[in-house]
Amino acid sequence: MTKKLFVFLSLLVVFAILLAACGSPAGETAPQTGGSQPAQKVTLRVLVHQNPPMVAFMEAFNKKFQDKYPNIVVDMSVVNANDLSTVSQTRLSANDIDVLDIFGFANGAQPYMKMVDAPNWQQLIEAGLLMDLTGQDFLANYDQNTINDAGSYNGKVYAVNLGRVIYSGIYYNKKLFEQFGVKVPTTWPELVTACETFKANNIPCMTAGGKDGWPIFVGAYGLLGAMYPDQAALVEGLWTGKIKWNDEKSLEMWKKMQVYARDMMEEGASGIAGDAAPGRFASGAVAMFPGGSWYAPAIEAAQPDFAWGYIPFPGSDNPEDNKYWFGKYDQGWAIAANTPNKDAALLYVKEFSDPANYQEFVDAVGFIPTQPTAKLNTQIGAEIAPYLSNFRVGYEQYWIAPKGAGQFANPWASYFKPFGTDDDPQVLADKVQADLQAGLDAVK
Amino acid sequence: MNRQLRMGTRIKWNRIASYAVLIFIALLYLGPLFMLVNTSLKTMPSFMKDATSLATEPHFENFSEAWTKANFPKYLLNSVGYTTAATAIYIVTAVFVAFPIARGYIKYSGAVLTLFVIALFLPPALIPQFQLMLNLGLYNNPIGYIMLFIVNPIGIVILVNYVKTIPRELDEAAALDGCGYFRFVWSIVIPLIRPAIATVIVMHAIGIWNEIIAPTIYLTSKEYYPITRGLIVFQGVYGSNWPTLAAAVLLLTLPMLVLFLVLQRYIVSGLTAGAVKG
Amino acid sequence: MSYHFGRGKAKLIPYLLLLPGLLFYFLISLGPSMATAVYSFTDATGIKGAPIHWIGLDNYREFLFMGRASVDNLDALKRTLIFCVAVTFIQFSLGLLVALLVNQKLKGTNIFRTIYFMPVILGAVIQGLMWSLFLYPLGGPAAKLLSIFGLRSEFLGGQPAEAFAWVIFIQIWANMGITMMIFIAGLQTIPTDMYEAARIDGANSWQVFRNVTWPLLTPSVNTNLLLNIIGSLQAWQLFLVLVGYRNGTQVLGYLIYATGFGQTSGSVTSSFRQGYAAAASIVLFLLVLVIGMAVQYILQRREARILG
Repeated sequence: MTKKLFVFLSLLVVFAILLAACGSPAGETAPQTGGSQPAQKVTLRVLVHQNPPMVAFMEAFNKKFQDKYPNIVVDMSVVNANDLSTVSQTRLSANDIDVLDIFGFANGAQPYMKMVDAPNWQQLIEAGLLMDLTGQDFLANYDQNTINDAGSYNGKVYAVNLGRVIYSGIYYNKKLFEQFGVKVPTTWPELVTACETFKANNIPCMTAGGKDGWPIFVGAYGLLGAMYPDQAALVEGLWTGKIKWNDEKSLEMWKKMQVYARDMMEEGASGIAGDAAPGRFASGAVAMFPGGSWYAPAIEAAQPDFAWGYIPFPGSDNPEDNKYWFGKYDQGWAIAANTPNKDAALLYVKEFSDPANYQEFVDAVGFIPTQPTAKLNTQIGAEIAPYLSNFRVGYEQYWIAPKGAGQFANPWASYFKPFGTDDDPQVLADKVQADLQAGLDAVK
Repeated sequence: MNRQLRMGTRIKWNRIASYAVLIFIALLYLGPLFMLVNTSLKTMPSFMKDATSLATEPHFENFSEAWTKANFPKYLLNSVGYTTAATAIYIVTAVFVAFPIARGYIKYSGAVLTLFVIALFLPPALIPQFQLMLNLGLYNNPIGYIMLFIVNPIGIVILVNYVKTIPRELDEAAALDGCGYFRFVWSIVIPLIRPAIATVIVMHAIGIWNEIIAPTIYLTSKEYYPITRGLIVFQGVYGSNWPTLAAAVLLLTLPMLVLFLVLQRYIVSGLTAGAVKG
Repeated sequence: MSYHFGRGKAKLIPYLLLLPGLLFYFLISLGPSMATAVYSFTDATGIKGAPIHWIGLDNYREFLFMGRASVDNLDALKRTLIFCVAVTFIQFSLGLLVALLVNQKLKGTNIFRTIYFMPVILGAVIQGLMWSLFLYPLGGPAAKLLSIFGLRSEFLGGQPAEAFAWVIFIQIWANMGITMMIFIAGLQTIPTDMYEAARIDGANSWQVFRNVTWPLLTPSVNTNLLLNIIGSLQAWQLFLVLVGYRNGTQVLGYLIYATGFGQTSGSVTSSFRQGYAAAASIVLFLLVLVIGMAVQYILQRREARILG
């Protein structure tokens, strides 16, 4: 027995050395048939990130797809959203993926930025790992602006984006608003009054999934948007010095953010897991929930007969500034450039892009469709519709911090107590600007 | 008589103080564990309503849900396979590294030990390691995955320290009896350092069992997933819930608990009597 | 150091048998780590096929000297040292105390031992889940306890200093079992007749500990000190599962993980910067190496003095 083990170990070592000497055996058998369905049986490897309604839809879709094209077996793997970029990178490097879920292209370097690194999607394209999809017929199903903004680079198309999400809205509990006769707020003072009324009646005003960190400050991105409706110009202004985080207007924003963090957010919000927040809101215990449109399916799943509405964060005193949605392009499809299953991969994305299938998808996940023919059937769709023409891509999709900027160089409400250490808006504003300025000076 | 009585009461006080300290610390351990078990027996709405209330109507569905949703039976078997194989290979190679170092049977044994001690400090090398596995053709391959876990410098250090407590005279005696080096280490040293080996097995196996990052990167085919990779269905960004997650992790941890309880006997049994010299 | 198992070629057997372990170590651990060192002088992204340029010390310059970010990095380094000292000191003392207590002839010591070792078996993810539940600020057990005294806290999600202190506590809680176990194993190698001899000589408990237990525990003391120091310097998993990447709580190990995985802040698209992450990990490596080697040197001299 001991001998066997020893032989095994020696073999393992020899094996390893041999393989190292032989280089990387790719070992793929590529069925290169033209047309749509491959002649031989192939396995199509698909990568998506964890988002339960989306995963549930994909499983149903895959089943339908396999029934229709019996020669293709779909092997879909699910990773946490946080790991998606790392796993995309490793699996593309290993040529171990055919179709992958990729977020809308964002955070590209702008002419006024200095010494910034290319974002990860651009790095992947430049390394030749994503397939050029230009000219594929399924692209015609999508809105041309989306193709340009969220999936193109240097005039070529590398991804089809499947939908936009909004993160600047507030969900509100209709029953509580009626019960206490509170008007749905359209300005900042109205929001403050509403919160005071609820608090006076022992009802926490707002909740958020603070355990994950970002939901607290992303919850106030609507406030940021109401203050600076042109978010691309805000980023440029910060880089060029025209806008400062401690100028008068910003100071007003910080003061409001302090009220948001200290007075509006419920006690203990920092302990609620990001995925538990919709459930907490749907339980009816809290009046409002500043959060992204992607939470709507979870709220509906938690309490199907719960009555809620969704409004833009009324961050400005002027109601006209509070009629914008801010958000981003969410999930999309890209295909590996070196896929051995090119036909099957294209067929998969094409089938998905079929208007009927696509409609089912947006209905399931609550995205704002990027196919112009698709309808907003969901409740969140109906809530979003009034201001949909005012959709804008948000600040953090443009922002790249200059190298050398400090860790406080962000417009985050979570710097304030009780989530952070700050309780003076002026002091914080100066600190944030100083941290940003340090970076701007460093890359000069 | 009088003196004995005094001794008796003193010892008793000692005991009471010992128990008091032990129980106090134990509460710090049992509290969170109890909270986890209690949560695993609740429904999400009841957790939301009151996080600490006792699960008076235990909701065992969380466990069956976890069992099926995370594909436990299959992935559990994979986890057992990886953990056993990697731990076995590691322990055998480690003993043959540690013993000659501790005894000075190889030249520069001090330097070799230092080499392994340096390994304790080494930075994680995620991407180079990934590229190595890729070039070896061992990416998305159970053998490659096992290979990731056959190095553990801490174990070497522990083993070296323990071998040092075994009297050298034993080597001489065994050699005089005509015992070869391999047989000596295999059938005499290994049983003698059983407590150290048990400790290293437990530490090493637990690390492999609970690994979450490596399977995400190295094993992309579902048939190879270990159980930690299956758990991802509960860590969704937007939709998981704590009670089911609590149930799932309790299921996950059970096999390691059994391993520990079995090996604890060995760890506790101490060194074989008579083989120890102060 | 004479070798008893034969002469001539037979003397090579130990080398032969040592070889697999050494090779694995070179291949899987040392090699990739050395590659990391090389990466740290480049702008490598980690993507296959992407060009790599030699950029000298630029990554180090950026990490240690560029703008305000480098000040934040040095803060993280300082925090790492505080974490190390606090964790090592408490975990070592507590582990020793508990080991001495459960090593007595008391009933139920087995149960206590198992309880204390439990978190080690659970792993960081479950440890994090347990404490997130226990410290759940919306009516979790700790919050309820505080409310009796009219106090409240956001615990892990609130003031960075408090969150950091909790991570120290939980790190000790999680790993004290290992320290204890190594001490117990060490205590059991001490022959009982040594204690008896000391007792007969009229030594009290403290004297027995001082003159018998402590010196003979030297190997376990060394192992534990080294493990605690290195483990706490490199710790990051509990930070990830308990508090996330938050200003005022980061330590170097977590900073490196976050940079390497591009997880510094939620939804923002970041770039792959393996070269920069590598430089940060080399900085941590050097820190750990210097401290670890110094401690190792002192401990070995002490061991030589005590055990001869």
